[in-house]
This record gives sequence, C-alpha cells and structure tokens, in this order.
Amino acid sequence: MDTQIDNGPGAASAFIQLAPGETITSESGAMIAMNGCQISTTTHKRKSGNIFGGLKRMLGGESFFMNHYTAYNEGGEVWLATTLAGDMAEVNVEAGTKIVVQSGSYVASEDGVEVNLDWQGFKSLFAKEGLFWINLSGSGKAIINSFGAIYTIDCDGEYIVDTGHIVAFEETLSFKLSKAGKSWLSSILGGEGLVCKFSGTGRIWVQSHHASNFGHSLGPLLRPRKQ
Amino acid sequence: METEIYGSPSFAYVDAKLDPGETIICESDAMSTMAAELDLKAKFNGGFFSGLCKKFLGGESLFVNEYTNNTDYPLGITLTQSTPGDITAYEVGAGQSICLQPGAYICSTPEVKLKVRWAGLVSGISREGFFKLKAQGPGTVWFGSYGGLVEKEIDGEYIVDTSHLVAYEPQMKLKLQLAGGIFSSFFGGEGLVTRVEGTGKIWIQTRSISGLAGWINPRLY
Repeated sequence: MDTQIDNGPGAASAFIQLAPGETITSESGAMIAMNGCQISTTTHKRKSGNIFGGLKRMLGGESFFMNHYTAYNEGGEVWLATTLAGDMAEVNVEAGTKIVVQSGSYVASEDGVEVNLDWQGFKSLFAKEGLFWINLSGSGKAIINSFGAIYTIDCDGEYIVDTGHIVAFEETLSFKLSKAGKSWLSSILGGEGLVCKFSGTGRIWVQSHHASNFGHSLGPLLRPRKQ
Repeated sequence: METEIYGSPSFAYVDAKLDPGETIICESDAMSTMAAELDLKAKFNGGFFSGLCKKFLGGESLFVNEYTNNTDYPLGITLTQSTPGDITAYEVGAGQSICLQPGAYICSTPEVKLKVRWAGLVSGISREGFFKLKAQGPGTVWFGSYGGLVEKEIDGEYIVDTSHLVAYEPQMKLKLQLAGGIFSSFFGGEGLVTRVEGTGKIWIQTRSISGLAGWINPRLY
C-alpha cells in the first residue's frame, strides 16, 4: 500500500494506491474518490471481530460500520479525507507495540492492523480527549487525522502536552493530568489549567490547534439556540 | 532562543527552543506542548489594572504566562493560537512599536512592553475594538491571523475591510468610511471599511471570524 498525503496541514487528503488484492479498512464516510476497488461494509475487521466491535467503536467516537476497499486485478486507488479542516499523518504500527489514538482521529489502516477500543481512565474526560480511545496493534500502516498541523515529539523522560492537543501516542508512554510549571495557581491563572504529562520513552503525535478553542472564539458570534 | 514557525499558512504554530536562563512571554493558553522542566509563572498583563484593561478592552487575556528555562540545557516549547491561520514574527527596534488588533498577539520576548492604547471612537463603532495593543521594543513579537497573513507597504492611503486588519505600524492613522456610495455599501456587502493613511506596513488577514459567523448564522435552523 502506497500512501501520499497532500494538501496538508490545512485540507489534507490521503491518496492510497493498492496492489491487486490488497485491502484497506477505513471509517465510514472517509472515501471521497476511488477506482478499481470493491467496497464491502462490515461491522468488524474482515477476518476477526464481531458486531460488538462495532458497538465498542461507536463509544470511541468512530463509526459503527467500517468500509473495506479491496483492489481488483489491476490494482486500485482510494482517496480519503475527513470533515474538519486539518492534517493527516501516516503511522507505522509495529508488532509488539501499540499506538493509542484519540477517538475521532482514526481514519484508515492496513489489513494487518487491529483496531480496538481503549480505556485510559477517567482522566481522559479532564484531558478533553473523550473517555475512550482507539488502540492500534498488529503490524502495518495506519492513517490518523487532526484539527491542526500534526507534528511528532519523541519523549524520553517527561513531556507536557496541553489538554486537547494529543492525537496519538505509543503505549510505552503513560500520561497523567498535571499542572504546567511549579504552582497550581500559575497553571490555572495562566489559562493552561490541567495539562497532560507524559512519562516514559516513545513518540507522541500532537495537533497544533484545538477545535474547542476555535469553537469558543466563534461561539459568541453565533445566534443563541432556540429552546 | 531559536524559533521557527511551522504549519503555515493554515495551522501555523511557533516552535521555540529556550536556552538556559531565557524566558518567553505569551498569552493565556497559548502553550500546546512544552518540556516538563520549564517553569511557568502567570503574571498580570502589565499590572492589575492594565491587565483588566487589556482583557475587557483590548481583547487580550488578564494574565500572561512567563515560561522560563531554569535548567542548564535548552528546552522546547510550542505556542499556538485558537484560530487556524498564519503567524509571523516581527522584530521591534528599541523605542519602536507595533499596533496589534484585539486577539492578534500570541507571544513575545521579555523586554517587549505591552500597552493598551485608545484606538478611537470610530474604531470601536466599526467593531475593530475601542482599544488596541501596542507592543514596544526592543524584542520580537509574534502575532497571528485567522486565515492567511498578507504584509503590505503603504504610502498614502489604503482601504481594508473591517475585521481584516491585524496589525499596523504606529504612525499609520485609521479612519472609517463607507465602502462606496450608500447603495454599494449596503448591497455590495462591504458596508464600512477602514482607511489606513500614512507610510508604513500593515498586515491583513484573509479570513474573518465575524464573516464565518455571518455565514453560519442563517444556516443554523
């Protein structure tokens, strides 16, 4: 599978070329154009899982159904994109390691990647990330998306990421909610409030912007909701 | 301090590396990632009353954050803004300053002084804000836009649509006027515009939040 991500960081789309017989699985609604592929829609991965996988995925902010695109004999092409403006990135899932992805940031993955629901504790609510995460394991490539430009940080020791800015991280890292700097007062008055402190060794995928913050600057200008 | 702006022009963010002992000042909630060993101090934006003025009149935050590197090796921090758009760094010379529209300021080096200045009655009425932020050098100021950022050298006068002006050099004068005659102002969708007079640089943003809100509102129900 050959992936090319164009038009980032503002309006990223992923152009995927599949060899004959190769399959890519994606969340429903992500395909914008395709050629030479057959679509099948299931509630689970093709070779494993069952309908409960679909229900669990809904909790994770992903869609109930997943689409599988399988290329015909001459090979096929699929264009994937997402609703919100933002970036896309390709991550390599390696056997033995797991990548935890923010709910709603998962776009697509190769056949060898298992997509499961993940639980990071109630702290996720305060981390403005949503209660459930998506866990990628197995081996293969996966595509994630974000609101904002995606950049990576290689953490060795400790690193702080503001709440709402995490896209994905390797499971060798653990995070806890913490304050930015040495005093709680500074952290709260400084507008940072709670931040996520990662510890361990691994890679973090971060998004530069936060959809809620943008929403808050737009919100006051919108008409109030009718009751 | 080494700084770099990535993600331009749609989702720009500032990536800074602070050397030991260095400090960077930024607006509330601008930090998106930082090394865990950096120290954070929240301070009133230029003093309590000045901070209050800046919050309610200048569209900035009451508190500013000071991130200091108190270790003996360089540490990284990334700073961002809430709207998707571009960011530019402006070098302010000693004694010189730059005027920023409300909300444009992101961060600056510690010797830069941030002041709130009266922007004029017309500026307030046209919803450009009654007050503006004046950043006085020496140092570097980072400011951002919603949408792309266009820098323009003016000599004489220039017309900028309201809500599209981001920053301008202090010697420029701003006046409000109708876009065209009464007819084109109402029906041409332009309404009031800002006339910038003088010689110097201005910065324009290619999108406006009020424009987006105006597009969304009729489609809400």
